[in-house]
Amino acid sequence: MTLWHRLVSIVRWIFRRNRAERDLNDELEAFVDMAAADETRDGATPAEARRRAVLQLGGLEQTKECVRGARHGAWLDVAGRDVRYGLRQVRRNPAFSAIAVATFALGIGGLAAIFSAFDAVLIRPLPYTDAERLVMIWDAMGQTDITARHNSTPAELLEWRRLNSVFTDLASTQPGDATLSGGREPERVPARKVTWTFWSVLGVGPMLGRVFTENEDNNGARVILISHGLWQRRFGGASDVIGREISLNDEPYEVIGIMPQRFYFMPSREIDIWMPASFPPSMRTNFTWHDAEIVARLKPGVTLDQARQSMEALSLQLTAKDSRGPHSVVIIPLREEIAGRTRTALILLLSASAALLLIACVNLTNLLLSRGIARSREVAVRAALGASRGRLVAQFLVESLVLAALGTVAGLTLAVPAMRFLERLVPEAMGAVRLTLDWRVLAFSTAAAIGAAVTFALAPALRGSRVAPLEGLRDGGRSIAGPRSHWFQQSLIVVETALAVVLLTCGGLLLQTFQHLRNTDVGFRTEKLLTFETQLFRYKDFDRRVAFINSELDAVRAISGVVNAGAISRIPFTNLADATFYWLEGQPRTEIPKQVALMRNVSRDYFATVGATLQEGRFFNAADQASTLPLAIINEPFATRHFGSRSPLGQRFKFGSTGEKGHWYTIVGVVKPIREAGVLEKMKPAVYRLHEHCDQIGTLETGIVVRTAVEPASIVPAVRQAIWSLDKDQPLARIRTMEEIVDRQLSTPTQSTELLGAFALLALVLASLGIYGVLSYAVTQRTNEIGVRMALGATSNQVLLSFGKRGIAVALVGLAIGIVLAGIASRLMQTLLYGFRPDYITTVIAVSAIVIAVAALACLVPARRASRIDPMIAVRQE
Amino acid sequence: MDKLDIPQGTLDLMILTILVREPMHGYGVSQRLATLSGDQFRVNPGSLFPSLYRLEQDGKLKAEWRATENNRRAKYYRLTASGRRQLDQHRERWNRVSVAVASVLEGA
Repeated sequence: MTLWHRLVSIVRWIFRRNRAERDLNDELEAFVDMAAADETRDGATPAEARRRAVLQLGGLEQTKECVRGARHGAWLDVAGRDVRYGLRQVRRNPAFSAIAVATFALGIGGLAAIFSAFDAVLIRPLPYTDAERLVMIWDAMGQTDITARHNSTPAELLEWRRLNSVFTDLASTQPGDATLSGGREPERVPARKVTWTFWSVLGVGPMLGRVFTENEDNNGARVILISHGLWQRRFGGASDVIGREISLNDEPYEVIGIMPQRFYFMPSREIDIWMPASFPPSMRTNFTWHDAEIVARLKPGVTLDQARQSMEALSLQLTAKDSRGPHSVVIIPLREEIAGRTRTALILLLSASAALLLIACVNLTNLLLSRGIARSREVAVRAALGASRGRLVAQFLVESLVLAALGTVAGLTLAVPAMRFLERLVPEAMGAVRLTLDWRVLAFSTAAAIGAAVTFALAPALRGSRVAPLEGLRDGGRSIAGPRSHWFQQSLIVVETALAVVLLTCGGLLLQTFQHLRNTDVGFRTEKLLTFETQLFRYKDFDRRVAFINSELDAVRAISGVVNAGAISRIPFTNLADATFYWLEGQPRTEIPKQVALMRNVSRDYFATVGATLQEGRFFNAADQASTLPLAIINEPFATRHFGSRSPLGQRFKFGSTGEKGHWYTIVGVVKPIREAGVLEKMKPAVYRLHEHCDQIGTLETGIVVRTAVEPASIVPAVRQAIWSLDKDQPLARIRTMEEIVDRQLSTPTQSTELLGAFALLALVLASLGIYGVLSYAVTQRTNEIGVRMALGATSNQVLLSFGKRGIAVALVGLAIGIVLAGIASRLMQTLLYGFRPDYITTVIAVSAIVIAVAALACLVPARRASRIDPMIAVRQE
Repeated sequence: MDKLDIPQGTLDLMILTILVREPMHGYGVSQRLATLSGDQFRVNPGSLFPSLYRLEQDGKLKAEWRATENNRRAKYYRLTASGRRQLDQHRERWNRVSVAVASVLEGA
């Protein structure tokens, strides 16, 4: 008998059920007819003959039942009956069912929604060939305090490609914003300069056209690949765009390829243009040009650890002769790099939602246990009528599965809107994701739901079905909950209280961190501040760049509603770029490699515009001109690092890369630190120069900040017109208010705090419902006993206390276990605390107070009910 | 005299043996069983029909509706090739069992 045979007959049975029934009916009728015909021949009357024939068959219906039982699909019938019975039970106890379904729905819905985000960010394959073998390589420059890891240099890339033994190949990407002009209004788009190896390292190619060759890269060919988005947006998806010349940074470039829609790469999903890196000769040998992000593919069989060891050694050897001393590298899997902190957040949230589901299950187990005890009479009747233990267990299980199925459907329905919210958790370095109830999420949630349903249903089913018929019937419907049952229910309460405590504590820590981040002093006033960026490469020499910045500031200030406007080379919070080595007058040159500061070029009234606070000295003023001595303002970390309590005013420094010919910058002021690198990053030393004094190291873009008296977004059209009246090909890029920038930065902490907070509150509610349920059930069970005790002289206060104490004791055990677990959990979520040390003890005390208060409340209601029992009535109930 | 219950596990063997000669309907099988056993066996349709169904589902028998000699429609069962193989195997095993049982009983 093959499995196939069996399946076929089951399927046939399902589809041809009616026919099979008819067949069976006809066959047995034929049997009766033939038997009756024989009986008639023996001389019986037709009616008597038929009666004997049916008797000979052993009863028409009974025989049919026997045949049905022999069919392969027979168990389906039984299951179907159990499901129908289960549904009837659901309808019969609407309140119980609603609570059970809602509890389960919350658990499953939360898990499904979080899993969809978890899957999208951490499990789904990245859009590269064999992406798990891709790593990012950073320089580990432990000796500077800008950051522990740093972009690498093109020179390092070239050497690594030549000398390494662990990668099949390496590629670099460098920032390279591009301005598209000609034809339509000018547009600035994020671009990356990539080496020709980029495509083969990632293992991706264009959907249309081709990639550039090694020769094109080396010879600085003007060819680009564009993103699917840009192709659609600017070129209307025209297929003849391949081979077309477009104006990029005022130079003609040929479009040679279009990347697939799904393609993206670090650092942002918004990159629209990939152009050849074409390292200039100076960059090829210079180990100080740290603007390259390196991606590499591990050779088959090489582990991450081997690659780390090998590359650290290689890097130390290569940089041994570097003026700044040898330094090592950091290798991080691409997936980890892309997911960043979101990874920890998602792991935390997935654990939290699993914990919530577990709490929901514990509650359901308790509910079912209580109900199972109440139903012992029904079970006893069924057992007496011949139902086997197995059948009873199966039926209990099916009933629970029916509840779980309804809960799962409700939960998945809840999960869909939650996914819209979770989409914002997807990191910026990753392609935009539309979270849906796809088969992966469905399969996971279904598996989780079945697992959870069996978990919560098994104990009640086993216990509920264990009934000695006689005892159950004789008991007159009164329960038979033994001490073991109480013990089991109470340990369930301990479990859920402990889980709730863990969630609440973690939630509390995140909340504190979030408040800390929100309240972080960023060093200036963020409200009513509009920011955007303009490009300076269009103006060929330094004087024209300065002139353009000054005239654009004048034009913006002339707009009504504008209070002031200033320029800065990089808008605060946006990045770590533009850091450079420096040395103070009087320092030995050997100090240079240890000293890095962020470098910002600002206009005269930048500090006034953003509302920065002066700590010492002065800001730039009208007297400071291009012709006067180069000046600098430093921030507090810079001052503290070098001068301690001495005044830095009048001290001078030079930038390391400009060598002996560099200007001496004289420090004239100290500003209270501004969060240049972002709200979440540590404060870095920074120097600010007047942009008229930046002829030696300048930048080709500039950020403009506009302080407005009106809603900042409302002046955007006027600002555009003002800039275009100066230069019609000047695009305005990244127009955002400062508050948007801050919100965007805080989106991961905001969302993880909100979600974990929601989970923690739900957990608290469910746990308190659990305590309430178990205790109030115990009161109902023990009404009789309480009555006797009161009749024997116990006061109602004593009864209240004895019940209240028991509930609180259980909650306290849960609390103690929870606090221990929370200690472990809080260590695992360190990265989500952004270096902030939340007050753990206070959090634990607050959580304990909340849990005890809620538990007390949950105990009080049933305990009061117990204390008000009238002994006469209670005893008479017997 | 009380009739005998059919020994466990032998009903299939008897059904197959009866059907190997010619296709037959359920009533016919029960009558033939009674006759062949010299009216010793109590043939209970409550186990005969489930057996027929099981054998059909397992592909040992094939059923078709045909007219009886009295012109009544009835479901006839016929042995398939796989049924024939099963019969051979069962018969071979039964022979061994009965010889073994007999020698044990005689030896005692």
